[in-house]
Amino acid sequence: MAYDLQLSHIGKVYDNGTPAVIDFNLDVDKGEFIAFLGPSGCGKTTTLRMIAGFETITSGDLMIRGKRINDLAPEQRPTSMIFQNYALFPHMTVRQNVHFGLEVKKTPVAEANRKVDRILDKLGLTEVADVRPTRLSGGQRQRIALARSLVVEPDILLLDEPLGALDANLRKSIQNELKLLQRDLGITFVFVTHAQSEALALSDRIVVMNAGRVEQISAPRELYTRPSSLFVARFIGANTLISGTARTSADGQVQVDSAFGPLAAIAHGAAVAPGAAVSIVLPAEAMHVLPGTLPEAEARGTHGANVIPCQINRLQLVGHIMQIALTFPNGDVVSLEGHEDKYRGLLVAGASGYVAWSPQDATLIVG
Amino acid sequence: MESRVLKPILAVYVAAFLLFLYGPFVVLTIISFQQGPEGGPQFPIIEWSTYWYQHLFGLTPPSRIAPLPVGEALVRSLVLAFMTMVTSTVLGVMAAQAFRKRFRGANVIFYLIVLGMMVPGVLTGLGTSLLANNIIGIERHWYSTAFASHVVYTFPFAFLVMLAILNRFDASVEEAAWSLGVSPITTFRRVTFPLIFPGVLSAMLFAFTLSLDEFPRTLFASGRDQTLPLAIYGTFSVEIHPNIFAFGVLTTLFSFALLSVYGILMAMSVRRARKMAMQEDIT
Repeated sequence: MAYDLQLSHIGKVYDNGTPAVIDFNLDVDKGEFIAFLGPSGCGKTTTLRMIAGFETITSGDLMIRGKRINDLAPEQRPTSMIFQNYALFPHMTVRQNVHFGLEVKKTPVAEANRKVDRILDKLGLTEVADVRPTRLSGGQRQRIALARSLVVEPDILLLDEPLGALDANLRKSIQNELKLLQRDLGITFVFVTHAQSEALALSDRIVVMNAGRVEQISAPRELYTRPSSLFVARFIGANTLISGTARTSADGQVQVDSAFGPLAAIAHGAAVAPGAAVSIVLPAEAMHVLPGTLPEAEARGTHGANVIPCQINRLQLVGHIMQIALTFPNGDVVSLEGHEDKYRGLLVAGASGYVAWSPQDATLIVG
Repeated sequence: MESRVLKPILAVYVAAFLLFLYGPFVVLTIISFQQGPEGGPQFPIIEWSTYWYQHLFGLTPPSRIAPLPVGEALVRSLVLAFMTMVTSTVLGVMAAQAFRKRFRGANVIFYLIVLGMMVPGVLTGLGTSLLANNIIGIERHWYSTAFASHVVYTFPFAFLVMLAILNRFDASVEEAAWSLGVSPITTFRRVTFPLIFPGVLSAMLFAFTLSLDEFPRTLFASGRDQTLPLAIYGTFSVEIHPNIFAFGVLTTLFSFALLSVYGILMAMSVRRARKMAMQEDIT
């Protein structure tokens, strides 16, 4: 079965020799919601623009539904793009904006009108149909851009930071609409963003990019709990990284010699060779804070094998959430939070404590 | 403190500027209402009359003063200016559009184009005439050789205007159209052109007015049939009557009318552009 969208070994080198995207591989099923996530300049927008046809592809194959489209002009590709600044036609009314794509495709008038009416209705734009988009709010203009792109029935909808220009509240609600719309239509969405919350909330799979390369392609939950590279571990979520050297390795069990003594870890991916430099990625959610008054052996027994002594700097109760700031022996400052029921009365600011975690809640990365 | 000194100086400067700009026109206008046919092009006004305006249109009884030989020249000049305007604007838009992509040799070509407005007109005029006469061996006419030299002269202006406009043009609007399946040609016609229209209007105005009163190039390149500036200059060599001033007043009024049309069209476009800018501000 052919994938809806396939990028194999896609590369882009600018005329001046600077590589923008290096060996990008991705297979997308029909109806998948894919997010390209990464810091600015990581190549995510360039990749999206290569799919749309606005940027030339230096190497590799770009396939849509099994057909190589590297050399097709943008207007010949079955893709449609939503721009961060919406890029609406300011000299046309909302209806004309939406109608434009069908008109140049010579869609019969009656059919075109029916399609335009339906999409305007679906996106709640019927009332403003005869207004110029310049008069409308950011959210409405975002919907016009969506209507304009969807009415031509693309195989793949490309979205370049479509929520970036909206304020926080609006962003949330449009985010939900977008997800519902995508489910409803069943077409493939490729979404570029630098906000991890958007990517984690919306997508089926996330492609994390850094410096032109793909760091990891995973479902949100997996990306969050099992980062596969140091970059992803630092970029996604709130992780603490503990570096060390791998010692013994049996059945994926790895003993790591760290500055805090020996720590137990589990290798989820490839086997870790003894002597390799490794990092334990410790999500804030995996850490349990225990009072320093507890004997160490008991602390070790409560929440799995690993314990690091720490200094509790600050405790703050926000609603039901206890925010805790603590310092590791090496001076690293870590913030985490937990439900008040778990910590109230147990911890004292300024006192010593332990951080404990179970090996399966952390991830081991080579590097 | 600074403004107390600077302001009066600037005020005087502006006043002087306006005086020099409009002074000649005021004098021209006053003398054009001189009594005729005896009244000459000097003060005092013997008696106010519209004689010279009537004379211009051949509505006066025949007198010793010949009608101004500008009728045909005026038509020629208007046709030439129109041809130049269309050609230079089309070329200017196309060239500026080409310069949106950095191509090899773009810099050299840029300077070659702009050279057309920098080189002294007398030299290009002379060069054109020598080229036509001695090398190619064609006759010089206002609609051929002079037209070519006018285009060479006005094209850079149209080009620079369009370059400035396209520099600020948001290309994502075009990309949005392509992405909807609209071909580049249709995109240009339906999206780009309406949005850059204010610039096109300015380019047209530049080309038209520059061509209309072009003198040095036309002097050498136009051959036998004269354009308006040449014809007017020709009348100076005989005897000057106020009819030439009446004519000057009429042509100036025509220019003002042209500017007003331009101003109205521009105001409409600018209002639209401002809305667009507002759209960008919010985003």
